[in-house]
Amino acid sequence: MLPYWTPVALSRDLAPLVVMPVVVDGAELALWRSASGRIAAWADRCPHRGMRLSHGFVRGEALSCIYHGWSYAQSGQCQRIPAHPDLEPPEAIRVPVHRAMESGGVIWVALAEPAALPPALAGLVPLRSVTLDAPFDPAAAGLAESGGAWRGTLAGVAVAVLVQPLPENRCVLHVLADGAATPAALVDASRGVETLRRQAEEALA
Amino acid sequence: MTDPIRDEWYPVALVSQLGPEGRDTRLLGEPVRVAWHGGAITVTSGGRSLPSQQRYGHVWACPGTPQRPLFDIPEADQPGRRLVDVGLVRVKCSPLRAVENFLDIAHFPFVHTDILGAEPHTEVGRYDVAIREEVDEVWATKVHFYQPQAAKSAAGGITTEYMYRVPAPTVSILYKTCPPRPGEWDVITLFVQPLDEELCEVWPWMALFDDDTPMTDLIHFQQTIFLQDRSILENQLPHRLPLDPGLEIPTRADLTSVAYRRWLKRRGYTYGAQLVAA
Repeated sequence: MLPYWTPVALSRDLAPLVVMPVVVDGAELALWRSASGRIAAWADRCPHRGMRLSHGFVRGEALSCIYHGWSYAQSGQCQRIPAHPDLEPPEAIRVPVHRAMESGGVIWVALAEPAALPPALAGLVPLRSVTLDAPFDPAAAGLAESGGAWRGTLAGVAVAVLVQPLPENRCVLHVLADGAATPAALVDASRGVETLRRQAEEALA
Repeated sequence: MTDPIRDEWYPVALVSQLGPEGRDTRLLGEPVRVAWHGGAITVTSGGRSLPSQQRYGHVWACPGTPQRPLFDIPEADQPGRRLVDVGLVRVKCSPLRAVENFLDIAHFPFVHTDILGAEPHTEVGRYDVAIREEVDEVWATKVHFYQPQAAKSAAGGITTEYMYRVPAPTVSILYKTCPPRPGEWDVITLFVQPLDEELCEVWPWMALFDDDTPMTDLIHFQQTIFLQDRSILENQLPHRLPLDPGLEIPTRADLTSVAYRRWLKRRGYTYGAQLVAA
C-alpha cells in the first residue's frame, strides 16, 4: 500500500447523496458523500453477500447496499438490517474504511498513513477529470513536476495535472486550471485536456 | 467413477425454440450441440453423444453418467396449469450465485422495488429450512413476505407464502401462493445452464393457474424480474460462491442460502464455488 494521498475525483463531481466506484493502488473502493457533505472511501464490497457498495444508495449520513438495504454509518459499522428491523447488528459487521480528505477542490484517498499532505493548489480551480486508456507521459504534454503536481500550460492556460494510476496501464487525470483564466480560456484548456488524452492513446495504438 | 458435477442433468435448450438449425452452446466449459435428427433431439459434445431427454419445456443433458433420474415436478402434469417458456437470460456470474439469489427474499424491496417488495415491508420472519435426507433436496417452507404485486395476476398488495426447493445444484423451484386459486401453488422454476464457472444462462419456466394474463405479459413480467437480478449477480465479489463461512456474513433471513452452501459442499459440488476465503 502506498503511503501517500491519491487524487480520486474533483470535489464538485461528487454531490451529496452520491456514491461512485474509484480505484486506488489497485483497490476497488466506494467513494460517497453524505447529505451533510461528509466524504468517505470504503472497500467496495458489502460484507453480507459481496455486492458492490458503489451500486448502493445514500440516505442521510449512511450508505446502504442495493442488494438487501443493509446500511452502514460513517464508521463503516452496520447500523441496520432491514430484514430484521429489531436486530442490533453485531459489531463484526463492518466495512473497511480508508482515509479520505478534500483539499484544493480535489478528493484524496490514502490506503496507508500518508507521509505528507496533498500538494498545495492555491490559485487553481477544478477543470475536469479524464480517463486515459494509456499511461500518462507528462514530458510529451510539456508538463514538469512541481510541488507534487505536473504543471505547465494547456492552450495557453496554466494548469496542474494530478495523476490517479489505474490497473493495466490506464490512469485518470484530474486537471486544475488558473483561477484567473476567462471562461473562454477554460473551455480551450478543457479541449487541451481532450487533445492530451487522444495523443496519449494514439501513441499507444 | 462417479463425478458430482458431470453426472448432473443440465438444461441446454428450450424445445419450443429449437429451430431446424439447432443450437450451439456450452456446458461446463465444453462446446455442446443440440440438434434435430428426424423427429428426435440429440445433444453432442466433441463428437460424443450425451444422455439427453425433454422435460419441463427444456432439453436436458448430462455430460457424465446420470446417477439418478431427472428430478420430478408433479405439478407440471396437473391439469389446468399454463406452462410458460420464459426463454433465457445470460448472466455473467457463477451458476451457484444465480441459484442462491433465486432462494433469497430479503432483496425484494430493494431490487424488485414496488413489484415483489417495498419499504417499509422489509422484515423476513422465521421460516423452516431442512435438507430432506430421503430425497437429498434443500427445502424452505413457511416463508411469508408482503408483496405490492406478487404476480401478474395479483391486484394490489398481499402477503405471499412461498416454499423453495433445490432438487439439483443448479435448479431451484419456487412454490408460491396463487392469487386466483387459493389452496394451490404457482410453480416458478429457475433452471441454470453453467457455461463456465463464472458465466451461465438462466432458463426460468413456470406452471401457473392463470387463464387470463396474455402469455407475452407473463413472460415480460419474469424477464423484468430477472434483468433486475442480473444487475446484482454481475457485481458480487468474489464472483464464485464462497462455500466456507468467513468471507460473507449471513443472518437468520439467509438460512436457505446457508443450507444450500452446506449441501453443495457435502455433495462435492464445487463448480462455480470458492472453497477457501481468498
